[in-house]
Amino acid sequence: MNLLLEVALKNGLVFDLMGVIGLGLIGIAAVRLSQKYQSWGGSMMAFGAIALIIARIYFILAPHVVTKEFLAAIGPVGTSLTIALPSLLLAFGLAGIVWGLWGHERWLNEETR
Amino acid sequence: MSYEELQYLSMSYGTFPPLGSIAAVRPVFLIVMGVFLMVIAWRLVKNTSGWSAWTMISGALLLGFGYSIMLPLYEAGLIDRLSSHGDQSTAMGWHAVKIFTMNGGWLLFGIGLAIYANVFASPSPTPRRTTAIPPASPHEFTT
Repeated sequence: MNLLLEVALKNGLVFDLMGVIGLGLIGIAAVRLSQKYQSWGGSMMAFGAIALIIARIYFILAPHVVTKEFLAAIGPVGTSLTIALPSLLLAFGLAGIVWGLWGHERWLNEETR
Repeated sequence: MSYEELQYLSMSYGTFPPLGSIAAVRPVFLIVMGVFLMVIAWRLVKNTSGWSAWTMISGALLLGFGYSIMLPLYEAGLIDRLSSHGDQSTAMGWHAVKIFTMNGGWLLFGIGLAIYANVFASPSPTPRRTTAIPPASPHEFTT
């Protein structure tokens, strides 16, 4: 395989950047929508996008930050938090974006009906 | 999910048993979310046209494929992860598909939503000054 392609795939930094930029755009667009239409769906979408961005940044940083010493320092409760919190953030972020999109769409339909 | 798998999950997650049940529900949640995302994106852009609709729909399709088909397959263990001791080239290919689908999907969806929400337009568009052309006087060319 092409060496450059392999490095880009294994590190995944370019693709992670794409994803984070996309999520940031979703957040900005959601804030703009909630300002423009005064709909709660936009705020919900913005919260979801922020949660997904936080989880993604954690997954990018985790291999460098979370070491054995770090885990020993934060204790068993903190260790289980490092496992539970990112997946919870991912789940709530996705649910928030979908829920917000649904709310916005329903609000638009009610407006134009 | 069999008892051995549950036991393995609870072992790999340490002393955190409720997460085992979350791990069991997660694929269903992902499938529902992926399908919902596609349906709602389609309903949202049904009446609009242009770049915003196409970008948003393609992003939503990529995300829907990723969330409702690929990630559950990963969680079910039907696709080898890159770190597992399986066929490395196949795992690499699926890994490439996964990171392209998830990140490209979010990027396209974000761009589409941003165009839809007029993010790229200037926030307070100044109305273009239209100079009123005075009606040509009938005497203009006659003198």
